[in-house]
Amino acid sequence: MISNNGVVTNATDSKVAPEPRPEPLAEIGATVTSLRSVMPQSTVTSAGSYEPWLFQMMMTELSQRELGVGFIYAVLEFFAQRHGLTDVIVVLTHDSFGLQMFRLGGAVIAPDTVARIGTEPGVYCEPDHVSQIEGDALRTAATLSFSLHVARFSAAHDPLTNIANRRSFDESLEVAAARSARYGWSFTVLLLDLNDFKIVNDHSGHQYGDAILRQFGFALRQTVRQGDTAARIGGDEFAVILSNAEGHESAGFTERLRGHLASVGNSVDFAVGAASSPRDSTDPADLLRIADGRLYEKKGARPQ
Amino acid sequence: MISRTEEDFELELRSLPGVLNIGTSHLENGDIDVVTLVVNSKDPAATRSAATQIASLYFPSAAVVVEDANHALASQRRDSPRVMLVGADYDATDGACVVKLSFSGRLGVGRAGSGPLIGGAEATLAALRDLGYDIPYSLMTVSNVTNGRDWPVIVTLRSHSNDADRFGIARNDDDMIGAVKATLNSLNRFVSTLEGRL
Repeated sequence: MISNNGVVTNATDSKVAPEPRPEPLAEIGATVTSLRSVMPQSTVTSAGSYEPWLFQMMMTELSQRELGVGFIYAVLEFFAQRHGLTDVIVVLTHDSFGLQMFRLGGAVIAPDTVARIGTEPGVYCEPDHVSQIEGDALRTAATLSFSLHVARFSAAHDPLTNIANRRSFDESLEVAAARSARYGWSFTVLLLDLNDFKIVNDHSGHQYGDAILRQFGFALRQTVRQGDTAARIGGDEFAVILSNAEGHESAGFTERLRGHLASVGNSVDFAVGAASSPRDSTDPADLLRIADGRLYEKKGARPQ
Repeated sequence: MISRTEEDFELELRSLPGVLNIGTSHLENGDIDVVTLVVNSKDPAATRSAATQIASLYFPSAAVVVEDANHALASQRRDSPRVMLVGADYDATDGACVVKLSFSGRLGVGRAGSGPLIGGAEATLAALRDLGYDIPYSLMTVSNVTNGRDWPVIVTLRSHSNDADRFGIARNDDDMIGAVKATLNSLNRFVSTLEGRL
């Protein structure tokens, strides 16, 4: 990281003005465009033709899994080997996440190093003998990977609680129901509804209401086992898929959940409705309808 | 290539306000041992609290270290990274102290008994040694000036060779924190000469 004269070096020209921030979706498209626009240039560059290895790595990764944070570290590793670097840091910006820094080997970037390299997006190498065009390509690939990871995570998770969203829950339920119908594997769907949440929201404000929802989501994450799914499927409605559960596990789950809520001083109460597959049905819509009916029985009201 | 779970863990941490960088060290079984967040945040303590919650869901045994880049960025300092106090816990039931120090993303943990004053100082020396420092000193005395609140704690270290004794002083509401900071204070210049070698 530190060059011979003790200064961290930047493979990019720090005098170049930062690009204007595009809209989130446009950013991904713009990144792809810039990658394509840069690549043909590299093929006519006699030295430092990065295109084959970078493009090949991305294609290989995409054929096996999806681009994400892990790919950034893999590219940094390969980049360092390719150029005989002892250290590489890539700095990028993201509309939602702001400034982000990644270092070779997932190593920590000490605060004084952060101060030295500053907040300008770029690639910082030791020793500094990487061309700007190749550094730019690395940063573009890292930005693309990060943006795709964020987009993928956002598409599947509720932004307030970071648990699964409705869409992701429906997909998990479809998969669980299909397995249950085919192999007879049991699972239980729980629907949870916070009691009097509207009153809490109206009396204490939406910020407080959001904090309650976040705490509830966190308690759900603490309570589920690996392989279970916890989701927020509506304003104050949550759902859980308990794998390998025939129904009687729901009482224990509810007790553990109440315990986690109590441990953080969250006194919110909630009602639960459950349906199990294959006992009640193996159809996802039926299971939700049955669980919903049982939930509203407990709440003392029927769904409209 | 890191696992999908670890990728999502890192992404969640990076989504916290002001987080610039995540560094991780791993156990032999692949689990994360220490996760270090470098933040440019107005409230690093809140970031640490949120990060600890997230870590408890993914890697419950992982220690969370938060390093504040705020001051460094503000002043664009060029001096060396410093040893920082990450955490200090005192268990009154058995008199045990645990001190966690960080240096450049690494975590050093020290444990000692003997109550908050002596234990705090001894645990600090142990944490420095856990970070890799060779500390050729032993604890000689720890004393707080009065039993009141917010009075200084004074630590004296005796050299293993013929060097002069070292003294450190710090003031804190908490006796143990005072002892930890006084111990670090006593080794201030000595440690700074070693920091660049680690």
